[in-house]
Formats: sequence, C-alpha cells, structure tokens
Amino acid sequence: MVRFKHRYLLCEIVSEDPRCRQCIDERAVGAAAKDAVARTHGDYGLACCFIAFTVKYLNAYTGIVLLRCRKDFYRLLCSALPFITYLENRNQRYSCFFNTLHVGGTIRTCQKFLVQYNRKQLLLLLHNCTSEEERQSIQKSLLSCCLKEVEEEQSQSGDEEDDTAETD
Amino acid sequence: MRCWLAGRGRGSGCTATAAQRRRRLAGCRHQTTTPSMPWAEPGLRRKRSAAAPRRLVPRGFSMAAVFADLNVPGAPERKSLQSLLEAAAHLGYSTVAINHVIDFKEKKQEIVKPISPSELFPSLPIVQGKSKPIKIVTRLTLVVSDPSHCNVLRSTSTNIRLYDIIAVFPETEKLFHVACTNLDVDLICVNVTEKLPFYFRRSSVNMNIIISSAAERPLELRGPYDVANLGLLFGLSESDAKAAISTNCRAVLLHGETRKTAFGVVYTKKTHRASEEEGVLPVRKKAKTEV
Repeated sequence: MVRFKHRYLLCEIVSEDPRCRQCIDERAVGAAAKDAVARTHGDYGLACCFIAFTVKYLNAYTGIVLLRCRKDFYRLLCSALPFITYLENRNQRYSCFFNTLHVGGTIRTCQKFLVQYNRKQLLLLLHNCTSEEERQSIQKSLLSCCLKEVEEEQSQSGDEEDDTAETD
Repeated sequence: MRCWLAGRGRGSGCTATAAQRRRRLAGCRHQTTTPSMPWAEPGLRRKRSAAAPRRLVPRGFSMAAVFADLNVPGAPERKSLQSLLEAAAHLGYSTVAINHVIDFKEKKQEIVKPISPSELFPSLPIVQGKSKPIKIVTRLTLVVSDPSHCNVLRSTSTNIRLYDIIAVFPETEKLFHVACTNLDVDLICVNVTEKLPFYFRRSSVNMNIIISSAAERPLELRGPYDVANLGLLFGLSESDAKAAISTNCRAVLLHGETRKTAFGVVYTKKTHRASEEEGVLPVRKKAKTEV
C-alpha cells in the first residue's frame, strides 16, 4: 500500500498574557512555525516540512494545536518548535511558547491522548479553584465525562456479549 | 499482529507495524542516513543502531520518567520564582535546582547560606501528571578562572556543604582538565553560545551531558520533550538526549547527596534465600563508590 504517512504533533501554547488566546488562529500558528523552521533549518527544512503542513485542530480556549507534517520530516518540525517565542496577529505580538504534548501517527491517537490530558487538567483545576461556583461547575463537568466513559465501556461489553450469543 | 512476536522475547504487549517487522526480519544493520536529521559535523555525528524501531510517543517518557531542570537562577523576588516554579510543574519537571552563581573575578564574594525552599514556598505546586509536589534543591555555581579559586571547594568551614549540587564553570582549558579529573564537583558547566576557548576532545562528547534552562522568566522554559529535541539538534543520539534530562540529572542529584553524607551510596536489598537460618532474612549491602 503506497500512501503518504504523516505525523501529528499535539502542542499546547502557553502564555502569560490572557489576550494571547484571542490571537491564536491557524494563520498565526502556521506563520510562526514556518518562521521557526526557516531560522533553524534553512530553506531545505522549510521546503521539507511544509509540503503537507496544516493546522488540523485548534482550540483557542485551552491553547491546544494539532499540527500535521510528513512522517519523514517530523523531526525537523519537532526540533524547531522550541524556538517559537511569540505569535503575531494583526500587527500585535504576544509572547508565548509551544509545549509539545504528544506525537502520533493518526488523529485518533492524538484525540485519545487529548481526552485523557483534558481530564487530568480538570482534576488539577478542581484542586486549584477558589470559589464555590467554579468548584461546582468543574465537579459537574468531571462527573459528566466520567459517566460518559462508563457508558461507553458498558455499551462495548454489551456488544461483545451479543456477538458471543449469536455465535452460539 | 502480536502473537508471533512474543517468541522473540518482546512480551505480549508489543505491536509493530508491517514496515518494522520487515526491517527486523531482514536484519538490516547498516546505518540509515535519514534525510530528517539535520546535518551534523562528522566529529559530532554518532552512529545510531538502526535496529531500534522508531517510537511515536517517546517510550522512555511515559513510564515513571522523572525530569529535572537543574538551573533556575535564584531571583531575589519571591513572586517571579513562584511563577517559574508553577510553570515548571505544569510542564512536568519533578525537580528544580535553584542556582546561585559566584564569580571570583569580582570583589571578594562570600558564599552565603543557601535559601531553604520550605521557608520561601509553603505550598509547592503539584507536578503535571504526578501527584507529588515539585522538589526543589539548591545549587551553587563557581566561575573559576584561576587555580587558586578551587581551594574554596576543599575547605570545610564554608557554607558550601549546605548546597545540594555544586557546579564549576572553568574558563581555561587547564582548569577544565583539572575539573574533569580531580575536583569534587557534581557538574561542569560549559557555555555553548560563544565559541569555545578550548577544544573538546572527542571522548568527552560521549560523557554524561545534561541540558538545563537557566530560564529567568516562565516564558523561557521549555517542556521536557522539546528539550530532548534540542539535544538531537546538538548532535546527541535520541537515547542520550532523553537521558540528558532524566537519568543524568538524577545521577547528579545522587552524586550531590553522596558528597554530603559518605563518599558512596549504600543500598540494602532483601534477598530471599532458602534459609537454613529461620526468620532472619539476610541483608546484602553493596557499597558503590562514586568518583
């Protein structure tokens, strides 16, 4: 089977300035990544990494970004991401840095990792939250996502039981 | 895809893609020059065994890997240090060393007592992915440009003993040589942003290397996976780069501890023997001397 294989880099944009979140969008992230790769690996690196480069997923509230590049050249991109120090949008610069969370071969693996990561973040938020309303809302969202996980497991085990019943 | 690999001693938990299996069957041992690695000087480029399959998620990280950042400049203000520590904990560093630099070229400087972390920070942030709070150790860096500066290390009356890690920053080649062979320090610092005033011998590149941040603001920190990728840029191999922020740092911390206590590490290990002596489990002591 001949197909193009990709690597998906799951990154988190960490910044001190809360306004930076509004400025996160695909063009700014793509431009920052291109600039960093050009500075680190030159024209060759730029050409290699950006044949099939896209920003697949972006969440401005949590600062999570999913980047895609060719499998053969993902190391060039990985090694250039620490050199990003700011994001620029509409002539405004915000200092930030990229923290690579996960590298996966498919979007599905990255999504699974992201779900677990977000659950852990919710727990941390619960630990750190200050007011009672926040605490209750976080507890509600935690309960809802945990219950959903239990339901999924039950439905999966229910399907398996049905299969074994049919074969009999 | 799994079962027949188990016979090769890989265990049942191993899945491999078709390409990896083909490679393993073919037994190719030649070094593959991949186009994805940046060009490195022949002196620094090292042979990598091509047999190890490429991992997608850095395997060494997910299991019980402890990352440490051993150079965080000790700022006088508490708030900035607190925000740095929170950022480091969020990124996943389990241990952070607060660094205090002493430069002998300036006017006579006293070696002050290290600040006690528990006094400054009553509540330490919890490390991302673990349930323990971040651990803080103290580090002292001596900038030496003269052999007489090294005498301070041997004197027992100063406050040096109270620091967990001692590092030295030699400025001449002779001092570098002395530091490598004789001195009783945990770390030797090298400034890589300027052209080296002396030449690294080839063998010293293979020695244990750690990478640390020297970040003065939280935005200058980088996560452990990114730092390992930077190690790849420097020409380290993949396992060396990962070790540079995990196992080598742990070795430095242990070395510092041995300097404080005895000059060795003693660990006891219970061994189960088909015992003639009833009820007494023999305890084996193994002394490991560290130079």
